[in-house]
Amino acid sequence: MSDNHENVAVEEEAEVHFEPIVKLEAVQVKTHEEDETPIFKMRAKLFRFVKESNEWKERGTGEARLMQHKETKKIRLLMRRDQTHKICANHYVTSDMTLTPNVGSDRSWVWNVTSDSSDDCAGAQTLAIRFANSDNAALFKEAFESAQKNNADLKVKPTEDKKEEKVVEETKSEEKEETKSEEKKEETKAEEKEEKKEESA
Amino acid sequence: MAEPTPAAPTFKLVLVGDGGTGKTTFVKRHLTGEFEKKYIATLGVEVHPLAFTTNFGQIIFNTWDTAGQEKFGGLRDGYYINGQCGIIMFDLTSRITYKNVPNWHRDLVRVCENIPIVLCGNKVDIKERKVKPKAIDFHRKKSLQYYDISAKSNYNFEKPFLWLARKLAGHQDLEFVASPALAPAEVQVDVGLMAQYNEELSSAAQMPLPEEDDDL
Repeated sequence: MSDNHENVAVEEEAEVHFEPIVKLEAVQVKTHEEDETPIFKMRAKLFRFVKESNEWKERGTGEARLMQHKETKKIRLLMRRDQTHKICANHYVTSDMTLTPNVGSDRSWVWNVTSDSSDDCAGAQTLAIRFANSDNAALFKEAFESAQKNNADLKVKPTEDKKEEKVVEETKSEEKEETKSEEKKEETKAEEKEEKKEESA
Repeated sequence: MAEPTPAAPTFKLVLVGDGGTGKTTFVKRHLTGEFEKKYIATLGVEVHPLAFTTNFGQIIFNTWDTAGQEKFGGLRDGYYINGQCGIIMFDLTSRITYKNVPNWHRDLVRVCENIPIVLCGNKVDIKERKVKPKAIDFHRKKSLQYYDISAKSNYNFEKPFLWLARKLAGHQDLEFVASPALAPAEVQVDVGLMAQYNEELSSAAQMPLPEEDDDL
């Protein structure tokens, strides 16, 4: 297309006015990516397997991204389609997933998702992803598997519980200190009283 | 997820054009991302809500994908009633489908007066283009917006909806933006189901992916 300009229509804006039929205010859409750090991204094409017709169907082309949550440290795979930005993949990278080669391709992987939370076709899915070349596919596999390990380690060592324990300890020691200082206050008060007594005497 | 919120403004969009120009394939591409190669003539009409997230909130086009083939068309005026915007599609590799555009336009505006309409020349990805850009002038006479598009390569495939959304909302600065990506669901699957999934995985891995020229 781009190599043949005479063959593609030049985009023009029609000179026409319509009265708007709705009144909409500008809004700031929260993407929930604000709380995350992108740790990997690579252009790819995503597919889903349709059992009923035994065929692969395209889900979208765009950047496949591994996103790590800043607080929980959990990593998910998030992919949006070019142009419309709709979500075609959104799932945690868990250790029950195995990136399997697709027959006859050295640049694609196939894997299972027990619960994909994409914009449509959500739920259990068999997905496939294809990259520009085998090097890119290998880089994705490496990042995906290290994300699996990261998420598995989070489960083994639940940092949340540890934090809670620490907090409990801290409050305990704080309580102790508070009682100490209260005792001190009472002591000083008592001393003050005695001093006042002496003065009046 | 693009679960339509009750408050999201919804527009009835009427999609017309000759049979085989790619109307249903275009709608499916927007719905699930798939590219359907098989031609299955649409009977009557199929209505699909197409949701988009914009910098003015979510909007929904209730898209009436109508039968292009006359014999499957039925009572057309009924499909057009209360249409708030339209897309007329033709096939850039088939001159007859462009010649029929005035007929589709006449039928549409007879029922829906003064609605924003986009004319789309589909299949621009195909090398043997028959309807040259210079030959396309109907939109100028009738104040329609025109785009070359391709449901296959996704060239301009969002533009018709974007132009219509801007006109319906009266905001030329309306853009499509990233929809909220909520935290994914976490599901515990029992061993039996997991075994079934793994079996499905190995059969899927044996099925080659559609081999296309990727723009990756």
